[in-house]
Amino acid sequence: MSAQAGAGAAQAARKDAAPTQDVAWHHRHVLDVDVLTWPEIELIMRTAEEMGGILARPIRKVPALNGRRVTTLFYEASTRTRVSFETAARNLSADVVSIATATSSVTKGESLVDTIRTLEALGAEILIMRHSVSGAPYLAAQVFSGHVLNGGDGWHAHPTQALLDLYTMRQHVPGGDLRGRKVVIVGDVLHSRVARSNIWSLTAAGADLWLCGPATLLRGLDRWAAAWEGGKVPGHGRFHVTSDVAAAIRDADVVMALRIQRERMQSGLLPSLREYAARFGINAERVSMARPEAIVMHPGPMNEGVEIAPDVAASGRSVVTEQVSNGVAIRMALLYLLAGSHDGTVPGAAR
Amino acid sequence: MSARAGLKAGQAGQVVERLEIQKAWLVDPVAGREGPGEIVVSDGVLESVVWLEGDEAGGVDDRGVVVAPGLLEMHAHFREPGFEDAETVATGCAAAAHGGYTTAAVMPNTQPALDEPGILERVRAAAAASGSPVEVLAYGAVSLDRAGEQLSAMGELADAGVVGYSDDGACVRTPRLLRSALLYAGMLGLPIVDHCEDAELTAGAEANEGYVASVLGLAGWPAAAEVNAVSRDIAVLADALRDEPRARLHLTHLSTAAALDAVRRARAAGLPVTCDALAADGLSGDPWVDGALTAAPYDTSLRVNPPLRTPADAAACLAAVLDGTAGAVVTDHAPHTAVDKEVEFGRAINGISGIETALGILLSFVDAGKLPLARAVAALTTGPAGIMAGWSRVAGTAAARPRGLTEGAAADLVVFDRADSWLVTADSLLSKGKNTPLLGRSLPGRVLFTVAGGRLAYQDPNPDQA
Repeated sequence: MSAQAGAGAAQAARKDAAPTQDVAWHHRHVLDVDVLTWPEIELIMRTAEEMGGILARPIRKVPALNGRRVTTLFYEASTRTRVSFETAARNLSADVVSIATATSSVTKGESLVDTIRTLEALGAEILIMRHSVSGAPYLAAQVFSGHVLNGGDGWHAHPTQALLDLYTMRQHVPGGDLRGRKVVIVGDVLHSRVARSNIWSLTAAGADLWLCGPATLLRGLDRWAAAWEGGKVPGHGRFHVTSDVAAAIRDADVVMALRIQRERMQSGLLPSLREYAARFGINAERVSMARPEAIVMHPGPMNEGVEIAPDVAASGRSVVTEQVSNGVAIRMALLYLLAGSHDGTVPGAAR
Repeated sequence: MSARAGLKAGQAGQVVERLEIQKAWLVDPVAGREGPGEIVVSDGVLESVVWLEGDEAGGVDDRGVVVAPGLLEMHAHFREPGFEDAETVATGCAAAAHGGYTTAAVMPNTQPALDEPGILERVRAAAAASGSPVEVLAYGAVSLDRAGEQLSAMGELADAGVVGYSDDGACVRTPRLLRSALLYAGMLGLPIVDHCEDAELTAGAEANEGYVASVLGLAGWPAAAEVNAVSRDIAVLADALRDEPRARLHLTHLSTAAALDAVRRARAAGLPVTCDALAADGLSGDPWVDGALTAAPYDTSLRVNPPLRTPADAAACLAAVLDGTAGAVVTDHAPHTAVDKEVEFGRAINGISGIETALGILLSFVDAGKLPLARAVAALTTGPAGIMAGWSRVAGTAAARPRGLTEGAAADLVVFDRADSWLVTADSLLSKGKNTPLLGRSLPGRVLFTVAGGRLAYQDPNPDQA
């Protein structure tokens, strides 16, 4: 590992790494990965491994959150994330209430703050929230007396996605250690909460992180990278921002494609999906530039033929379905930690 | 505490019968003089101004009680009519007086917009009914209903006494309308005061484009939006001047280094363009937001138009105040209700309630050695008065009067104590708008007295606290 480029920066980013076995969980909310220390991230990974053990059983259910009240509040359409959270909560025996805002009084103009207070009065203890406006869960956390788990806010953060991505990468990288490993995220970074949260977790893991996409979809990211590079924000790692897809993918250990939205054409940020696919799509030729054992990831839902070629998505390199199943384990782990356990061991989960 | 002694005034609004301030630091930006001195106000008139010399001046320095002319705010929102839950003319005047201001010019983005004389009469009636001696001036809208389509009742508004025209809250929408407005207002001897923002570039924007917005996932508010509008306005002004030499342009709340540079160049070329910078956000920059990355992410009190810019832009604003490019410092006092602010950052309304904190912010720059005291006072008094004196219909009226410490004139002054600070809280702010990122912070320069037109506008309720 020591010969890997970027290992020095990785060690610097992990200088707070202490013995991890006795790390206690003390966060009331999970709004983003930025406030998590590396030992805390490792605690989540370890807890998720225990949850993975539960998921491997014929009956995927433990009583850890029996009687605890989990509410999902989704202000944005989502199937896979909401179902993943609800599955995770039910696997832990929690009582789950789902609120889709199209059917709630939100459509009558109720404010977020009022909605949160109402849900609290109705007994919600853990609130899982998806919102189209960046920072909305931070407002919820200010008024909610329980726990807020961010299921994605605007362009800002998607912490459970970043953690399940990290978890999946660790399963495929030899030794489970990402230090010095090249990870490239290709696509609409500007509008991506997945990319933003991954910046925090992957630099914390010591990965050699590259963000790649058309210049219109990278706006502002160079200034973020420059701030970290220049030491304006000490203690953080470095990452690269480029529109040169070949340089980004060359010798990568992990290639992650992001979803391209059709609105990007209407707002004049991209000429066409065809041109995007030709210049930035993850196809077999581009994957061949990565390391032979490299994996291909996508947070879903995929536009096959646009940001990822169908043959790549279906190939043995693709770990997209593993991401989905790992997502349940990660969300079970976070629910479990938030609900009040402290050391990452799960009663009844011993294998 | 002799400096504070000697008030016989009665209640706010009444003529100051007698006020003596002894052994204080006087700042007279008209005379270009500052130093130890004493003043006496008698029956509302500044009866004597004595400059102390030699032994008499012993022990008096500029770090204690300061007497300065009453401050002039060129850009405020008192929200009446239409948004009285956010502010009224009465509460706005009370807040202004607490901030040391004796005159405030309010913007016309009310509901209905101040686009015809009837609305101005309502504002005036509210000011008279408030009993406050703070003088309220008003701008009329450039366009009917501020819609950017056709001109407001400009001539009638001029006859009724507006001091200029602005579609503040938005840029004058088209260059064609701006050209007409500059010509017509110029004919009337009044300026166009423009809010410089290319709306095309700021659609959906939430925070200055850069590191902070990028990390927080907020839509970027590019500096180019301001620079673009400033460049357009200056080009249109240059053109309009050929037809109407009295055309005047004032660009308000500039926030970027590049926009200030454009004004600097235009002024050097002799164009009659002036501008101002913001006390709070302009001079502080987005380290406020930057600090909020961990301290208070998405604090909607930081959401403001123009957005908090970079530290380099803030430094450029200060430099522009120092070199005179920005002739005035304004607050853009923008009170809002909690209902409009206690929402998601992306849905929060823009604005900071600032008229009570501007003096303290400037004094903190003085404390830090970045701004001389006399320059800070000038930026809040003779600076804006000088700009307004360049508008021929306003020149010679009380609004544009020289703001000095002139014996024999109606007393119009502020007394503040640089050695004493005050805590910004929802209770200590007299404005209805509690939307300021300074809540919970201490500001230097507690205002002890504000006297406007010979009448008591504000008196520190806790004079013995220090």
